Amino acid sequence: MATTSVPLTKPTAPTLVRTRSESQWAIVLRRFRKHRMAMISLGVLLLIFLASLMAPILAPFPRDAVGLAPRFSPPLTVHNGQMHWLGTDHVGRDFFTRLLYAARITLSVSFFAATFATLIGMTLGALAGYFRGVVDSVVMRIVEFMASIPDFPILLIIAAILASRPESLPIPGFVLDAMGTLMLLSPVGNERAQVVVIIVVLTAFGWISAARLMRGMVLSVRERDFIEATRALGASNARIILRHVVPNAFPPLVVSYTLSLAGALTAETALSFLGIGITDPTPTWGNMLQFATNFMLVNPWVPLIPGLPVVLASLAFNFIGDGLRDALDPRLKM
Amino acid sequence: MTNYLIRRFVLVFVMAFVVSLASFVMLYSAPGGPLEQLIAMQSTTRRPDPDEVERVMKRYDLDLNMLVRYLRWLTGHPRGPIVIGGQEFFSDLQVGCLKEGLARLVYPDGRVVEINCAKPVFLRDLADRPSSNGVIMLDFGRSQQLAREQPVIELFESRLGNTLLLMGISTFLAIALSIPIGIYSAVKQYSRFDYFFTTLTFFGSGMPTLFTGVMGILVFALLFQRLGLPYLPAGLVESNRDAVVPLLGTIKAGSFADRVWHLILPVAVLTFFNLAGWTRFIRSSMLEVLRQDYVRTARAKGVIERLVILKHALRNAMIPFVTLLAGVLPTLFGGAIITESVFNWAGIGRLFINALVASDYPVAIAYVLISTFLTLIGFIISDVLYTVVDPRIRLS
Repeated sequence: MATTSVPLTKPTAPTLVRTRSESQWAIVLRRFRKHRMAMISLGVLLLIFLASLMAPILAPFPRDAVGLAPRFSPPLTVHNGQMHWLGTDHVGRDFFTRLLYAARITLSVSFFAATFATLIGMTLGALAGYFRGVVDSVVMRIVEFMASIPDFPILLIIAAILASRPESLPIPGFVLDAMGTLMLLSPVGNERAQVVVIIVVLTAFGWISAARLMRGMVLSVRERDFIEATRALGASNARIILRHVVPNAFPPLVVSYTLSLAGALTAETALSFLGIGITDPTPTWGNMLQFATNFMLVNPWVPLIPGLPVVLASLAFNFIGDGLRDALDPRLKM
Repeated sequence: MTNYLIRRFVLVFVMAFVVSLASFVMLYSAPGGPLEQLIAMQSTTRRPDPDEVERVMKRYDLDLNMLVRYLRWLTGHPRGPIVIGGQEFFSDLQVGCLKEGLARLVYPDGRVVEINCAKPVFLRDLADRPSSNGVIMLDFGRSQQLAREQPVIELFESRLGNTLLLMGISTFLAIALSIPIGIYSAVKQYSRFDYFFTTLTFFGSGMPTLFTGVMGILVFALLFQRLGLPYLPAGLVESNRDAVVPLLGTIKAGSFADRVWHLILPVAVLTFFNLAGWTRFIRSSMLEVLRQDYVRTARAKGVIERLVILKHALRNAMIPFVTLLAGVLPTLFGGAIITESVFNWAGIGRLFINALVASDYPVAIAYVLISTFLTLIGFIISDVLYTVVDPRIRLS
């Protein structure tokens, strides 16, 4: 057998390589910034958010004032010396004004619905995955059940029943006040209660995917050695879950949260488009779109006004979710 | 296999039972029931007539106990005393109360509760009141608002076909298109074709069907018509009168061509939405499978590339896809509701929305029950399909 001699290279003295130490979040941020569409989306969302935040300052007219100009005046109409940037709707209300207030309502509703749903889902999923046993079987039976029935029709029925009679849901007064102030709703009538009811219903049907995701993550994390080590050191269950299990399950949850924001936004829009959720005169992009499509055959430009913000916001959330997925995935080299 | 299917059927019936119970609760807790309508109607003209109220209570079983009412709603029974060999049993069993009694309890917080029953309803009284055949015999009662007194099932019979047509064609098209596109994107990863479809599918899954539907009408119906191009109809299942379309000629109202013409746009919208997600799914699961050792083995032993992809890789990549398809059925009903509303499509989804807006809850609940049942059947079919795709799975 011939021996092949491999020429040994003379070991050189190790040179000191200085690496910039980056924290986990700095890496994620750097990777996220490289995702061009996600950055553009972030900009678009920020713009919509700021516009809705400054709605009372930016809006040239009162929200529900009717007959400001002839109905369906096209964009950039000047009537009585005042500019209607986006024209007027079917009863002569200013589109630009209503669009701003609607953005505030729609974005707040989606934010609260998605946030509460994710928090509830996270909690239930973590408990189910960590403690197994009865909690797990109960939560998972509910999850399976909800996943295998058409839940959207049931959501619609419950929303219809509750939204037509919002006082049947006991909502504490301070919640109504807080929501009313945040979304600039009038305390007269059941406007505020209707909005809260929609948030509750969307939350009740939205926690499923977060719970399933969280449970899966917890199941895989809880078997790792470092959890056992923590337990050996005497950490309590609460500490293990909050300090070790949840942070490890965090990256996919962030992505799923972004996508559930998009989901809540589309669901809210669909509800009010179908005439079931938040109803006129409270403006949302969905019910504005509903009226717009009714008059679309004569005024084809009208659906674009509430339609474009919906699609921009929905796409933006999706792109940001995509960007976060790439940025948070350590297997991808960027 | 048989054993498995039986167990699966039992599970389906348990789920159907839970849904029926939930539906029943929703049906009777919904505002604007027949009694409230009567009172609202009468209060504008005169004071509520007690005889009229009693008649409505009898008519809609409002005087019965919850359990008896649920049983009668679900199965149509009991319809009177149980007769065995000419003898009546339980005819004196009290099943409800037609008129509350006079004993009044006044609670400290001001609530007034009337107890005792002035006119109890016994099982024998049920013999002479009309009863439905029960939900399990597809008798969902009568419509209260949309088509007064018309049996709910008749409303569905005339529209179910339209919905299944829409859902069936678009699902078939989405599957038939997403598989080849997904495979090609995966095999030619990072090619121009791949980039194009990855971007397109991203937009497709991010855009709500609501928006694509409205945009479709704006462009292909309104804009094309104004430009004198062959346009598509903006909605409905078929035209009311003959339409003259540039290049296509006259389309006779109600003809086969007319129906196809009306199907194109809604089918395209639904297909586009499903296509987006499914193409992405197949692409990623193909990419996963193509990296596996058995694919390399197949290539190494000289199997031609076509066969490697279609036989070795595709069959494995299809397994998760079938799971996805099973889970997608509930969402399909949701998507169809929106598409039908946008296009004025006379299907059951639109009927459901009309019923909800008009507070016609018997119709709305029937929709939930029917769509749940169809979904559950879909689950069983997908289970059977599993064994076809993945021979390793023996249903047991």
